[in-house]
Amino acid sequence: MTQIQPRRNYLGALGWIWAGNYKLERYLYIFHRITGLGILLFLLLHLVMTTVFRVQGKEVWEATMEVLHNPWFKVGEYLVVVAFLYHALNGLRLIIQELGFALGRPRPPIYPYKDSLRRKRYWTILIISIVVILCVVFFYDFIAGGW
Amino acid sequence: MRNTYLWLAQLVTGVLIAVLLSIHMVLMHLDAILSFLGVDIKDPTSWHSMIERSRETLWAGLYIALLAIVLYHALNGLRNIILELAPSAATERIITWTIIVFGTIAFVWGTYVPIRLLSG
Repeated sequence: MTQIQPRRNYLGALGWIWAGNYKLERYLYIFHRITGLGILLFLLLHLVMTTVFRVQGKEVWEATMEVLHNPWFKVGEYLVVVAFLYHALNGLRLIIQELGFALGRPRPPIYPYKDSLRRKRYWTILIISIVVILCVVFFYDFIAGGW
Repeated sequence: MRNTYLWLAQLVTGVLIAVLLSIHMVLMHLDAILSFLGVDIKDPTSWHSMIERSRETLWAGLYIALLAIVLYHALNGLRNIILELAPSAATERIITWTIIVFGTIAFVWGTYVPIRLLSG
């Protein structure tokens, strides 16, 4: 008599960075979380920069800008832009899923399952994200003279 | 029940951020394209341009609204991440109140500075 074990799908804290055999959506979720935490870190730095250093007058502000034009901060800004775009687009995908916009008629779950959402939606969003990220990097680099 | 409303607010603030932060990013980073299109904001990170914007009520209002929305979205998201570790009810209360207090302090400080700079 072997007892049937319930499926263990709780990955614990390790599940924040590694999702094993799960599908792409689980990894999208992990990236959503990582980018969210990264943007939170940026938000704190940004708030300190635009308040504490701004109320102290022109010299302090320009010295701060001098520090922020350091190439390492430029790399950080690129990461923030990419993270923001990913988080925004994936967030819109999540809202579409949550509220059920434009997902087609629901079908009874009879084998073989036809899940239009899982088939198409995230590939579409992924392609849109890549295009938008490339556009922004291109604009920032070559037209606005980013570096 | 309460968490349902918090989650709904998370969705609404998410959409608002997508709009407001896109405006913010375009204005701050695509100034060359904007001046090509006829909107000149003169190197947005320079002191002169920044202080000129700070004196306008519209910009201050927009920044304060953005600050409130972003702080809610960020701190509620952080709370959701922490609560996924399934802490006890007492720990959850401590986490919630720490986050509320931190968010209030950040909002008050972040509102005080643009209001002070309106006349500065």
